[in-house]
Amino acid sequence: MKPNLKVIVCGVEFSNPLIAASGTYGFGREYAEFYPLSKIGGVSTKGLTLKYRAGNPTPRIAETPSGILNAVGLQNPGVDSFIENDLQWLKETGTKVVANIAGSSLDDYVNMAKKLDGLVDMLEMNISCPNVKEGGIAFGIYPDSVKTVTSAVKNAISKTPLIVKLSPNVASIKENALAAEEAGADCISLVNTFTGMAIDVKRRRPILANVTGGLSGPAIKPIALRMVYEASKAVKIPVIGMGGIMTAEDVIAFMLCGARAVQVGTANISNPMAMAKIAVDLENYLIENGISDVNELVGGLII
Amino acid sequence: MQELQVTVTNNVRIADGIYQMSFRAENSIQGLHAGRFVNVSLGRADMVLKRPFGLFDFSADGREFSICYQIVGDGTREMSTWKKGKVVEVTAPLGNGFTLDGKEKVVLIGGGVGIFPLHSLKCSYPNCEYSAFVGFRNQNVACHVDAFSSFAKTYFTTDDGSFGERGNAVDLYLKHAQEVGADVILACGPTVMLKALKAKFAEKGITTKTYVSTEERMGCGVGACLVCVCGKKDANGDVKKVRVCHDGPVFDMQEVEL
Repeated sequence: MKPNLKVIVCGVEFSNPLIAASGTYGFGREYAEFYPLSKIGGVSTKGLTLKYRAGNPTPRIAETPSGILNAVGLQNPGVDSFIENDLQWLKETGTKVVANIAGSSLDDYVNMAKKLDGLVDMLEMNISCPNVKEGGIAFGIYPDSVKTVTSAVKNAISKTPLIVKLSPNVASIKENALAAEEAGADCISLVNTFTGMAIDVKRRRPILANVTGGLSGPAIKPIALRMVYEASKAVKIPVIGMGGIMTAEDVIAFMLCGARAVQVGTANISNPMAMAKIAVDLENYLIENGISDVNELVGGLII
Repeated sequence: MQELQVTVTNNVRIADGIYQMSFRAENSIQGLHAGRFVNVSLGRADMVLKRPFGLFDFSADGREFSICYQIVGDGTREMSTWKKGKVVEVTAPLGNGFTLDGKEKVVLIGGGVGIFPLHSLKCSYPNCEYSAFVGFRNQNVACHVDAFSSFAKTYFTTDDGSFGERGNAVDLYLKHAQEVGADVILACGPTVMLKALKAKFAEKGITTKTYVSTEERMGCGVGACLVCVCGKKDANGDVKKVRVCHDGPVFDMQEVEL
C-alpha cells in the first residue's frame, strides 16, 4: 500500500511535506519547465513588497563551505503585479500557494496582508527585514517587535492562515517563537538565513556588494535543526522547518524535530530537480521502512 | 533547458591554467546554440553552486559539446582533475545566445576567456563571413589560434606583444574597422573590455549593431533566484533589472548597463 504523504497545516492540505522556500523558486515558472509543480506540496513565493523593488547591487551571491550567502535585497515586482500576473498561473499548477510578504513598516505588512487575504492558501510573513522606523533593526529580532507585527497583521486578515517566518539571528528562538504564537500566528516557519560575510582576499574586498548576506545551505543544518527542535517544544502551533535540507533524510530529520512540513531552498539552486527527487526519495524511504504515514514522523525524536 | 548527466570524453590543458573539457550525452540535447551556456555541478557537497561556462562548440546531432575554462578557484581546480569517463550533472542549455538572422559580415571581438563563447558561432552560423579580433594577456595564455583562424580572418593581440600585435582586441578592431566592414559586432570578455568598447564606439560615433555577452555571479542559472541581474533599458528608456542567466547573457550593447 502506498504510504500517505499528505500533511495538513492550519487546515491546508499539502500533497507532501515539501514547500519551496521563498526566494529560491521565483513564482515557480522556471522550475515548472523541469517538472510539474504538482509534484511538490507548496511554493512560498519570492518575498513580496508593497511596490516594485530593484534589490541590491551585484554581486548578490557568494559560495561558502557547504553553503551560499545571498544578498538579493528582495527584488520583486510588487504585490499588485504578483496578484495580477502570477497568482492565477501558480494556483493552476496544482501546488499550494504560500505568499511571502516582506515590509519595511507595519503598514506595509498590513496592507499587503489585506490584499492577499483569501487569495492564497497561506501567508508567510518574513520578519527578517529591517524596520526603517526603528533605525533598521529587523522586526524579527526582539520578541516585542515580533508580537507587534504579528498581531497587526493577524488583526487585519480573516480568511488566510498566517505563518510567521522567524529570523535565527536572535537571542532566543524559543522566546521569539512564543511571541509569535502569543500574538496570534497560526504557524511559524524557521529558519531564515544567518547573517554572514565572505571575503575576496586577493582584492581585499567583501565578495557581496552589500558586504553582508544571508547564509543558507547544508552548513546551517545543525543550527536549524536545533532551533526547530527548541521552537517545536515551546509552541503548540504547527512548525514548518527549513535550513540546509538537501535530501529526503534531511526532511525526516526536521520532521522528527517537530516540523509538520518543511521548506527546501538552497537545494533548488544547486539542482533544479532537487525537490522532485526528494519527493520520490521520501516516498521510497517510507516504503522501505514500513512507515505508512509521513505524519507519524512529526515530533518522533527519541530522547 | 534540462538537468542531465553527461560523460567527460576529454579534459586537456590548452594554455597556462586553461583547459578544454568535452562531454557526451546519451541523447541529443535540445536547444544547443551559439552563445548559450551550461551549468556544471561539481558533485561535491561542500561546493553547492554549479559553475557556468559558455559553449565552446557542439556537434550537429546535439550529443556532444565542449567548454573551455580557466582555473580561478576551488571549483575550476576540481574540474581540472576530472578524467575521461567521469559522469557529471549539468543543466543545459541556458541563456539566450547569439542570434544572427540574415547577417553576413560578422565581427567578433574577444578578450581572454571571453573568446570561447564567440567560437560557438561557427556551430550555429557556419556560413557568415567572420573577422575576429582576439586579445590575450600574453603568449602563455594564448589558445585556440587555429580554431579561430579556421573560420574567421583573425587578428591576435597580447597586452605585452609576446604574440600577435601588442595591445588589445578593441583597439585593433578600431584600427581595421574601415577595411573589415561589419553588419554586426559580437563581443565577449572582461567587463572592463566591454566598457572600453562601449565608450570608444561612442567616442568614434560607431553605430554598428553590437551585442555583448555579459557575466555575473550566478545561483540557479535558470532565472529563479535573481542573483545575477544587470540593468537593461526597456522601450521607454527606463532601466529594469534583468537576469543575465535567463534574459541574457547576450544583450544589445546600447541597452545593457555594464
